[in-house]
Amino acid sequence: MDKPILQVVDIWKSYEDLQVLKGVSFELREGEVKVLFGPSGSGKSTLLRCINMLNPPDKGEVFLRGENITDPNVNINAIRAKIGMVFQHFNLFAHLKAIDNVSIGLRRVKGFPKEEARAKALEVLQSVKMEDWADHYPAELSGGQQQRVGIARALAMDPDVILFDEPTSALDPELIGEVLQVMLDIAKAGKTMIVVTHEMGFAKAVASEMIFLGDGVIIESGTPEHFFVSPKSERVKNFLNQLDVLYGSHEKLLK
Amino acid sequence: MILQDRPNPIRELLTVLEYWDHIFSGFLLTMWLYGWALLMGFVLGLILANLRQYGGWLLSRIASGYIEFMRGTPLLAQLFFIYFLPSSLNIPVGDWEIVTSFTILNKEITIILLNYRTLAGLITLGLNSAAYQAEYLRGAIMSVGTEQLMAAQSLGMSRIAGIWHVVLPQALRRVIPAWSNEAAYLPKYTVVVYFIGVKDLFAQAHFTVALTFISVTTYVIIAIIFLVTITLISKGLDILHKKTTIPGL
Amino acid sequence: MSDIPTLSEIIYYILRRGLYHTLLLTALGLLIGFILGISLAIMRVYGAKELMWFSSGYEKLFRGIPLIVLIYIFAFGLPDILWYIDPLELRLGSVVLALSLRSAAYQSQIFRGAILSVAPGQMEAARALGMKGSQAFRHVVMPQALRLAIPSWSNEYAVVIKDSSFASAIGIVELTQAAYFVSVSFREIWALSYLILAVIYFLFTYPITRIFGERQSKKLKKLGMGGG
Repeated sequence: MDKPILQVVDIWKSYEDLQVLKGVSFELREGEVKVLFGPSGSGKSTLLRCINMLNPPDKGEVFLRGENITDPNVNINAIRAKIGMVFQHFNLFAHLKAIDNVSIGLRRVKGFPKEEARAKALEVLQSVKMEDWADHYPAELSGGQQQRVGIARALAMDPDVILFDEPTSALDPELIGEVLQVMLDIAKAGKTMIVVTHEMGFAKAVASEMIFLGDGVIIESGTPEHFFVSPKSERVKNFLNQLDVLYGSHEKLLK
Repeated sequence: MILQDRPNPIRELLTVLEYWDHIFSGFLLTMWLYGWALLMGFVLGLILANLRQYGGWLLSRIASGYIEFMRGTPLLAQLFFIYFLPSSLNIPVGDWEIVTSFTILNKEITIILLNYRTLAGLITLGLNSAAYQAEYLRGAIMSVGTEQLMAAQSLGMSRIAGIWHVVLPQALRRVIPAWSNEAAYLPKYTVVVYFIGVKDLFAQAHFTVALTFISVTTYVIIAIIFLVTITLISKGLDILHKKTTIPGL
Repeated sequence: MSDIPTLSEIIYYILRRGLYHTLLLTALGLLIGFILGISLAIMRVYGAKELMWFSSGYEKLFRGIPLIVLIYIFAFGLPDILWYIDPLELRLGSVVLALSLRSAAYQSQIFRGAILSVAPGQMEAARALGMKGSQAFRHVVMPQALRLAIPSWSNEYAVVIKDSSFASAIGIVELTQAAYFVSVSFREIWALSYLILAVIYFLFTYPITRIFGERQSKKLKKLGMGGG
């Protein structure tokens, strides 16, 4: 496993006059879990959307398994099928039951026949412990349940990498744990993940590398131990202190 | 049917425009009807909206019923009903009229401001518009929220005072966008009075067609007049809205 | 003095002579208006600038002209071009054309609003799965937009069926014309026949707008759709 699964090379992105990303680069190997964190507005969500080209970067390139997906000639939809995304506000399809939310990608994008898609969807729902709610609509589910279905929807596509955009930020505190647990399980099972989050307990548990993004550039990166024992930059130290004060640690929510 | 040569459209246009005095008089009458109908619709609509929102069980249902019925039935049917009502009840309507005349560019323009037909048309348009305006107003009143009224009453204001001084001023400002919609498009609906013999713009168009035998061009001109009028009213109300907004409302 | 018909006789007569054309005109007007309206809405939401201008201009045009004027333009204009078609069909066609073109302008607005109401995250999620824009629209946005449009659309149905009454102006025998036939035969019931006519229309509009209007809005809120 020499070649990295994902290579992000010198990404620049601006909105109107605001330069949001100013040359961000990193690599992701198979099975790695990278945690992106930093103050709001630092471009974390934008970076994720550059990676799956929902919002293409102004400059820079992204390679998925060696293929340049920023190339205009590439079939971006086929690429997106290989990159999963979990959203802060879940974005479940409101008019579809949970099982259909999970199977629609299989049917419409990957062309699975109806029965096969349904079976696979059910399997994935089981892995996030939502199989009993398969026939419920998103509006009937709690936030934590909806997000688990959202994760299932991304998982079902067997993506090469899954992007998590602040998956627990919109959840009530008591629901965060169930989602983090699912994410932990996925990470331990060897899935390649990029997670934008403030959940430092999660990072401590499974992150291979943590990246601190500030003002559109990578300010510091390293292992969790590095960050929690001796971060180099003052900014990072202050930020981590603030997080600790505000969020405490959710370690007790994780098993 | 023999295929006729299409006459020169410019010549057609000019021929029709020779009757500009009739068209203009029709336009004025249409605007006259529109103005009164809008006003009547507003006053009655405001009353209905308040009855529906704050009236007791009975009054609010009566208001509701009126609104739903007027909105659920065609304007034309309403017009004919009101127009024929007196004669069906054997009430004489008389042959009276209030007229005004003036001269422009050597042509005398006479407008029947009021006679039985015009009155019947005006009343119908007003009653109909009231139902639609009531809905917009009710929406605006509801959007102001009950807490505003509660705050007013907690100061010691009576319910009516609270409605008058606190709810309505806010509601009236909030209703402007939706109300502008009704106000701008009401002229369109006034054409219905043609069917009871009122000489509005549409009726004058007929008159012109009867004399010139130029039909499509005439009606297109009328359509354009309506379009321009409605656009102007709409834009005017937009400007008015922008000039009178209060932050937060 | 001839016998004045009973209430049920009047109702029966009006329905028997007029209902068919009223429903026909309404159905055709709504259907063509739907096809055209959705196309205009899609143009306006997703189209290039020129398409947006066209769609916007179309809406303004057909909302700013009285329907009856539009009917007359077609009723007088079409026979010149389509002189070989039967006059009754031409008159029906004029009304259908006028109703459709007008309805399309309003339906365009309805569907545009509905499409824009679908939460933007829905489209994002669909594309993140790898769906093409058109797939995402077809399977995620449209189904929700159609549901969100139901209350307004039920209102549009009511408008079109009421507007179909203007067909009587050019001699088509629909409900209003049938009521006219009754009223001219018996002067005593002039007003009454129109009252009955109004009630008939009411029975065709109110139940529908009641069921598919407010109640539908509440159901949609519960499903969590819209809010975009």
